[in-house]
Amino acid sequence: MKKTFTPCALVSLLLALVLAVPALGQVYSVDYLGYGWEQGGPLKAAGDELIITATSTYVHPAFGVDLGTEELTFYVSGLISNGPTDFFGNTQINYTGGILEIYQDPLMNADWGVNPPNATSPGSFQEGSLFFAGAFTAFTMFFDPSGSYGSFEGTLDGVAGSIIDGVCSDCVYTWGGAFQTGSGAQVPEGYWIQVDGVFEIDAAVSSEAASWGSVKALFN
Amino acid sequence: MKNAIKGMLIVLAVVALPLSATAQQLFDFNGQAIVPAAVGGTLSMYSVMYDPAPQTTPLPLDFDNFEYTLVVSGAILDVNGNPQSYVGGVLTIYEDAGTAADFANTATFTDGTAILVGSFTSLNRIVFLSTGSVQGYLDWNGGAWLNDIAPEDQTGWAFLAGTNSRSPEPGYSEIWDGKVEPPTIIVDEDLSSFGSVKALFK
Repeated sequence: MKKTFTPCALVSLLLALVLAVPALGQVYSVDYLGYGWEQGGPLKAAGDELIITATSTYVHPAFGVDLGTEELTFYVSGLISNGPTDFFGNTQINYTGGILEIYQDPLMNADWGVNPPNATSPGSFQEGSLFFAGAFTAFTMFFDPSGSYGSFEGTLDGVAGSIIDGVCSDCVYTWGGAFQTGSGAQVPEGYWIQVDGVFEIDAAVSSEAASWGSVKALFN
Repeated sequence: MKNAIKGMLIVLAVVALPLSATAQQLFDFNGQAIVPAAVGGTLSMYSVMYDPAPQTTPLPLDFDNFEYTLVVSGAILDVNGNPQSYVGGVLTIYEDAGTAADFANTATFTDGTAILVGSFTSLNRIVFLSTGSVQGYLDWNGGAWLNDIAPEDQTGWAFLAGTNSRSPEPGYSEIWDGKVEPPTIIVDEDLSSFGSVKALFK
């Protein structure tokens, strides 16, 4: 039987393409607040380990998480400092290694406490079902000249969790935000920094806004 | 009867103590900023606020029934280095049960009731790569809820935001994700023994 390419099939294909365009460009984000500390050596020094525990304050609806009945908790561990270096008059610290784990937990009992590690931190941030786990491929902290605030940014490879391949395929995972030390922030005793940032999932495939005419033109 | 009332008051007082636990207090926001290109230009930022649970907001906000927006306006670029330094600037928090905030229409962020208005005493912005930070301090001096904050607690609030310029909304320069925070918890809290609570009613 000879297959024919009918106008109806063409329209269906075009509709599918047009509907797919926004999905490729979608960025899914999870906003979080938390605190971090270092252990294993002098603060910021090479070999010191950075640990962060945080909770989500906003999650994109696509994830289907209701923050009114469950919490998303974050646990970052194993980031090893390469030591501070100069960055155009500011300070930069690159880290190697590191794992990010995000848990979906109906207990809603996350508690930083004081002087971590303690009875609740990081323990209460590692409960529930695994939402995402990723291995850092890069992580950097930037400090202003005073050393009291700055930003951090990192990229990850997703390795496990309920959202892997559930939201987009061929995804890029990023972790970034701002931090502040105890000056000006209510940082619990024993913690080093307060962090406020976003975990983002972005399609690796670039996307462009396209008109209906331009999509049709692809098939002319 | 008198003893019964005393007992009830004591129980209420004791029960109330855990509510003033040591949760950090802050206003959390996520928004879009328009950054000036040259000295003398004006910075503005429009954002939506979120419930920071398990941390708490410094004043109780009803996120179920209202939308809260946080807007920075009128900050003038004074020193265009890295960091940049701004002078002036006002931060306003609005409570609105009407129009949903839409970055395509900044008026949707400034409708409703201005519940808190503050003036920046300092504001600095630094850019590292595509990300950066904004840090400053402000004093509250207006708004419908100003008197809900004790005068001694109205000054020295910290403003901090992480910035990135990778994919802002059309018409904006950067995404800002940050918080506004009092220097200390502004609700009084005292650790009290049961005996000292009872003594209050003798």
